[in-house]
Amino acid sequence: MSELLDPRAVRLAETAAGRDDAIRRCGAVLVEIGAVHPGYVDTMLDRERSISTYVGEGVAIPHGTLAGKDLVERDALAVLRFPGGVDWGGEPVTVCVAIAARGDGHVELLAALAEILLDEDRARELREATEPGAVIRLLGPIQEETKR
Amino acid sequence: MPTRTVTVGSASGLHARPAKIFVEAAAKAPVKVTIRSGDRRPVPARSMLSVLALGAKQGTEVILEAEGDGADETLDSLAALLAKDLDADHA
Repeated sequence: MSELLDPRAVRLAETAAGRDDAIRRCGAVLVEIGAVHPGYVDTMLDRERSISTYVGEGVAIPHGTLAGKDLVERDALAVLRFPGGVDWGGEPVTVCVAIAARGDGHVELLAALAEILLDEDRARELREATEPGAVIRLLGPIQEETKR
Repeated sequence: MPTRTVTVGSASGLHARPAKIFVEAAAKAPVKVTIRSGDRRPVPARSMLSVLALGAKQGTEVILEAEGDGADETLDSLAALLAKDLDADHA
């Protein structure tokens, strides 16, 4: 069974020099778990330059462009927490939920993530998580809701 | 209250990029706009998370509502934006 959020893709004590660096870290984790080809990372940077993936609540959702879809091996998430914060075009980002998605599952996935972030308590829990288990518990339901 | 019913035109639905373009346009509008889908409660069109949480796909019908001066013009332009394929015009 392939899980959307692999525990190996949860990194809670990351540091980054800036937005692009944070995206490269996110991309490197997706590559490391075998979800995407290395070329996907460049499409993540392209997407971010075209339009910010900041969604609110200190969370950004870096992901590739449509052109990067073919570089996705399997749908996956990576959660990287930057306790020191990253300046995301003026918005402070603490958590990146990086997305690798081939098809349209992406809309349900974002809707499920948005529902979680709209709940202030759960959004704070995610920003303050220091245990991978807490992140898996918070974001785990996304897998069930998007699984067909 | 001025209302528009629109069918989402973006090929992959109201996901990150189309949602952001829509939310930014709604934030610039002179009136408060709400968006809802089906029987769910209306949410602020300028809230990225609320718009993402709709989970609207291509073909999903959404309802825009606004009140006050300029409501009709605002709704017309936002409705036109939603009906377009916002994935098609890449920068």
